[in-house]
Amino acid sequence: MQGAPLVEIQNVLKSYKNAPRPAVNDLSLVIPKQSIFGLLGPNGAGKTTLISMLCGLFSPTNGKIITNGWDTAVDSKKIKQIIGVVPQEIALYPKLTAYENLLFLGHMYGIETDELKQRIKYNLEVLGLFEHKDQLIKTFSGGMKRRINLIAGLLHHPQLLILDEPTVGVDIQSKTAIINYLKKLNSEKGMTIFYTSHHLDEAEDFCSHIAIIDEGKLITEGSTKELIQNNGCNTIEEVYLKITGRKFRD
Amino acid sequence: MKKLLYSLYKEYKVLVRDKAAMGIMFIMPMALVFVVTIIQDTTFKSVNETSVPLLLVDKDHDSLSVQLERALKQTKFFDVQKQDINQEEARELIATGKYLIGIFIPEKSTTRLREKASQRISKLFPAEDTLPSVVDTASLQLKLYFDPITKQSFKVSISGAIGRIVSALEMQSMVDVLKVEMKDLMPSSEEVTLETKPLVSTSEEYATNNESTLVPNSVQHNVPAWTMFAMFFICIPLSGNIIREREDGSAFRLLTMPGSYVFVLAGKITLYLIVSLIQFALMLSVGLYILPLMGLPTLQTGENYFTLFSIALSAGLAATAFGLLVGTIASSQDQAALFGAVFVVLLAALGGVWIPTFVMPEIMKSISSISPLNWGLEAFYGVFLRGVSFSAIWIHLFKLLVFAAACFGGAYYYQVYKRMR
Ligand SMILES: Nc1ncnc2c1ncn2[C@@H]1O[C@H](COP(=O)(O)OP(=O)(O)OP(=O)(O)O)[C@@H](O)[C@H]1O
Ligand SMILES: [Mg+2]
Repeated sequence: MQGAPLVEIQNVLKSYKNAPRPAVNDLSLVIPKQSIFGLLGPNGAGKTTLISMLCGLFSPTNGKIITNGWDTAVDSKKIKQIIGVVPQEIALYPKLTAYENLLFLGHMYGIETDELKQRIKYNLEVLGLFEHKDQLIKTFSGGMKRRINLIAGLLHHPQLLILDEPTVGVDIQSKTAIINYLKKLNSEKGMTIFYTSHHLDEAEDFCSHIAIIDEGKLITEGSTKELIQNNGCNTIEEVYLKITGRKFRD
Repeated sequence: MKKLLYSLYKEYKVLVRDKAAMGIMFIMPMALVFVVTIIQDTTFKSVNETSVPLLLVDKDHDSLSVQLERALKQTKFFDVQKQDINQEEARELIATGKYLIGIFIPEKSTTRLREKASQRISKLFPAEDTLPSVVDTASLQLKLYFDPITKQSFKVSISGAIGRIVSALEMQSMVDVLKVEMKDLMPSSEEVTLETKPLVSTSEEYATNNESTLVPNSVQHNVPAWTMFAMFFICIPLSGNIIREREDGSAFRLLTMPGSYVFVLAGKITLYLIVSLIQFALMLSVGLYILPLMGLPTLQTGENYFTLFSIALSAGLAATAFGLLVGTIASSQDQAALFGAVFVVLLAALGGVWIPTFVMPEIMKSISSISPLNWGLEAFYGVFLRGVSFSAIWIHLFKLLVFAAACFGGAYYYQVYKRMR
């Protein structure tokens, strides 16, 4: 069923109270099943706001988001069952060990203890952190924390994994480890991945689909190959520059 | 249920590894109660002193002085000490503060009293055959001395009390004279006895609105007072915990999990409720076992353990709910810590933790009853001082629980209608 829509974002608008302009402005997107979808945009473009609405944390001011056939405004509980979220921040307890953090979060997903322990072990091994499992998170490097942060979001094997800037502030090794693991999850488990980033080059290599937004508005969108070919460019960065006529602010 | 247990377990680990929070919650209140109880012990003693040292100098050695002494002793308000000294020496003893009050009964006071009484009575029965008797009309004066530190109100009430005793004695001696006269006039009549008890009796009671008719001692005040303070100080680590979770994205992640955030909050509330019960147990044991080692009175807990437990539970719930509200509304940890600390200290001062309500001016007493710390404290006073049971203090617990419900409601409202917009 690759290619069928998993998430349909329909004319979504979100205005925060006291904000001068909408954080997300009349945005429409389709996230196909089993795609790796990259949402790119500068700081303040509205990426995190869109993710919050995808997760059902709050409803759009206008418009609709349909995930797996469910409206987020109505069935956010069902949607929460099938998504996994990796927040932009390191959402871990610094005074707990890596293992304790993952055990707690896994239990909060309702995973059985034995099964959970196996999954934690497997994920820690894949991301090269098993020997550090009993260290406190506060002793971890930025890249190690990012990797634990990632594991915490996929212990329950979500159908849709939503990652908010998972590679921010990590070195090339950690970044490669994260990207490769996500590719593997996508190809082997058929996990749909929705990811945000500032980095056009990283996204170009990683994503099957890309959307670029700025100031809450959609600038362009399509499969990575199409975008580059249709604009007669060599890279996504060139596409961006061609369309906006300016550089990213960050 | 399983989720709640895991959440509780996580909060427990987070807390025990946070040394600052552990110190604030357990060490600080124990140190406070220890130090403050010792410092305040003498102050409480002077407020509590039931017997005022009174010097009685008796130069009369007759029925007036004997009866006055007996009456003074009966009030149990005075610690009567007799000494055979002159007026100057008596004055000196009061001035040096050895006694608060001195009463000097001059020589022949009884005789004079009798003479004056009979003089008055005989005026009522002008018998022609008797010559006007020559009576020594020199005034009969009892001398009262007060230590200059005593307050005016105290002086007035003491003079009043002594005055009442003296007028009863006057009355008695007039009646005695009257009896004799009556016998002369009507020899046939039976012996009359006239009661000299006052016709109007008064009963005294402290009319305060905070029920503290009994004044606690330093231990009875400070142990419950600092327990309440410690419980409400929970708001600082608890709000810090909530804000940290919000700032580091954990709350965001937990909110994206099905139903989890409710369990996480329930775990926090349960843990901090347990913390407040442990605080209560620790503070009780300071009052029971540690303070007595310092020569202070042992805390009298009474027998109503169920009532004590329900007070601790209600107060803990109110404190936890307050912490949750502060954590939800405050926008940063610094703000929460500052606001929480200032607010709790203010509520503690108002509620009579630092300075007990019974020494507060009347206006402050009524203001202090708006502080949740005062509700808990009054409930504890009820059990520790008067040994009352649940039915007598439930209103305080009810107020605490309403406060808790209001805080939970406020936090929920703020979270749903303000934060998530
Ligand atoms: N709670 C809020 N209240 C008011 N305005 C907000 C709130 N959260 C975000 N905004 C504003 O909405 C806009 C979009 O913010 P958002 O966090 O979604 O951007 P972003 O693309 O995730 O940025 P970044 O790359 O820096 O993470 C910004 O202008 C931001 O200031
Ligand atoms: Mg963001």
